[in-house]
Amino acid sequence: MGIADNYSRGRRLLVERPGQALAAVVGVLLVLALFADLAAKLGSGALGVGDVVLLAWRGVVNGLVIGLAGVGLSMTYSILNFANFAHGDYITGGAFVGWAVAWLVAGLGEYDIGSLLSLGLGADVYAPQLGTSIFGAPLALLLGLVAAGVGAIAIALLIDKLVYEPMRGQDGIALLIASIGVAFILRYLIVFVWGTSVTSVADEAGGLRPTVGGVTFSFGYHELTLVVCAVVLMVGVHVLLQRTKLGKAMRAMSDNQDLARVTGIPTERVIKWTWIIGAGLAGVAGYLLILEAGTIAYSRGWILLLLIFAAVILGGIGSVYGAIFGGLVIGLADSMSIIWIPSDFTKAAAFALMILILLFRPSGLFAGRTTA
Amino acid sequence: MSESETAAADIEAEETRARETLLEVSNLDAGYGDLQILTDLEMTVGRGEYVTIVGPNGAGKSTAMKSVFGLTSHMGGTVTFDGTDITQMVPEEIIHHGLGYVPQNDNVFSSLTVRENLEMGAYILDEVPEDALQAVFDRFPILERRQEQKAGTMSGGQQQMLAMGRALMLEPKLLLLDEPSAGLAPDLVADMFDRIDDINDAGTAILMVEQNAKEALRRCDRGYVLVNGKNGYVGSGRDLLDDEEVRQRFLGG
Repeated sequence: MGIADNYSRGRRLLVERPGQALAAVVGVLLVLALFADLAAKLGSGALGVGDVVLLAWRGVVNGLVIGLAGVGLSMTYSILNFANFAHGDYITGGAFVGWAVAWLVAGLGEYDIGSLLSLGLGADVYAPQLGTSIFGAPLALLLGLVAAGVGAIAIALLIDKLVYEPMRGQDGIALLIASIGVAFILRYLIVFVWGTSVTSVADEAGGLRPTVGGVTFSFGYHELTLVVCAVVLMVGVHVLLQRTKLGKAMRAMSDNQDLARVTGIPTERVIKWTWIIGAGLAGVAGYLLILEAGTIAYSRGWILLLLIFAAVILGGIGSVYGAIFGGLVIGLADSMSIIWIPSDFTKAAAFALMILILLFRPSGLFAGRTTA
Repeated sequence: MSESETAAADIEAEETRARETLLEVSNLDAGYGDLQILTDLEMTVGRGEYVTIVGPNGAGKSTAMKSVFGLTSHMGGTVTFDGTDITQMVPEEIIHHGLGYVPQNDNVFSSLTVRENLEMGAYILDEVPEDALQAVFDRFPILERRQEQKAGTMSGGQQQMLAMGRALMLEPKLLLLDEPSAGLAPDLVADMFDRIDDINDAGTAILMVEQNAKEALRRCDRGYVLVNGKNGYVGSGRDLLDDEEVRQRFLGG
């Protein structure tokens, strides 16, 4: 494309969509200003390279959790055609089940089973005593990870059977409202079992602290565990969607459900598998999030859900790759905007970025690439 | 055997095949939700026969075809296919009995590749049937050349071929075609009809709904004219084309 083409395209944008052109100019100037400011801060020593890397790393860690949980939300959206607001509580439910199992395995024989399963509700056992870190109790943590996935899957399949399956074929709004009800029920069932307090469940694991060129970086072992698990699972989802018969059927269903039905694809079975994969990822994401954060609370998933929705919408709702990419963008924006603005506003910055991107790509960055 | 004897034997075989009923629709009442579209529909398709349904807009042509494939609300009557009562079956079960359905428009998985589309056609089998796949590629060579292309990026005519190819992956005894010429450029319409003739010549029975009524009746063995969801006229394609009343009322003179 020649310069003349670019020129005429730019002119057309200016004439036809002055608002967008203005926003684009402001956006570019803003990004330039932010980078200039960052350079100034680094130059004056107000901010070290290590700090910037740390913030970026935190952004990637959070982004991968958001993305991993978002994959499930996007999948169920594209195949069942509704936004499942209970997804956040699948995350919490999976996390609680997973950590209860991790505690049970770590403390079996030494502590009361009830205390372990309730995550120390009787205040007679604590995470440091159990040593629930990846070095202190690797087997317990691995079994907990599996249990988190299985727990969330069990919740999702039960809810589908009781609520969503009888409503199959109804429009997305009815299902969405039902899912908000499901979210509340799940959350307060969790409160009923585990209470409302914020509990410390994961023990400290330390981390790598390499020093490169006089700058010390910090990568927690639990963060590294999270990153490795998340990347492996994301690659797994990619292989599933592209290479397996089930994955292709899922993409076919997200393309055109009526056609899938007349082609002989067993749609109900594919829906069940969609719940299994989506909820399994949500449960594992919740478990890893708690591993990295250290503490668990009944509202963790619900609070995270807002960021997950932002990520999924940003990436183009229905697209699995969009969810992963969107998760990273939202995670990085939330984490790194603290360089320029007070920490109270970082979430707002993430949402502002989402809105800015949606102004230009109203259906998201990966729109039209359903599931694929 | 002399040539005339072979021809006579062919005709006899043809007649035997035609006598054998593959699909039988009797007293069928059907529609969508509470809305009844079809009343007392009677229709048969013989083994290897080529049957067309024509009629004015809103006559229930597509509904008749969808009813055969379990896509409407059943309100009465029966549909029997190859000796099995399929009236209450869902598409997923019907497809196991040797019926294939190609819907009108939007009939490919646009974000899947050509090959993946064809694989989906054989979903109910454990393995992709390589013979059937090769047969589809031989019939539509363009699909073999474009295996890795996303179906949504192909032209309307190619998508129609892909949709037919997908339905042929299970080598059905009867292929249901809903308006196969809809949306095609005029010069591609004849080609599409030729391909349907080829599929039929290979032994697959065809039940087709067509707007292009004259061409469809010229090609088919037998035709049904539907009027207001009821049987109007029935006869060989030639007889319907020659029928003064049918011509005046439904074929634009």
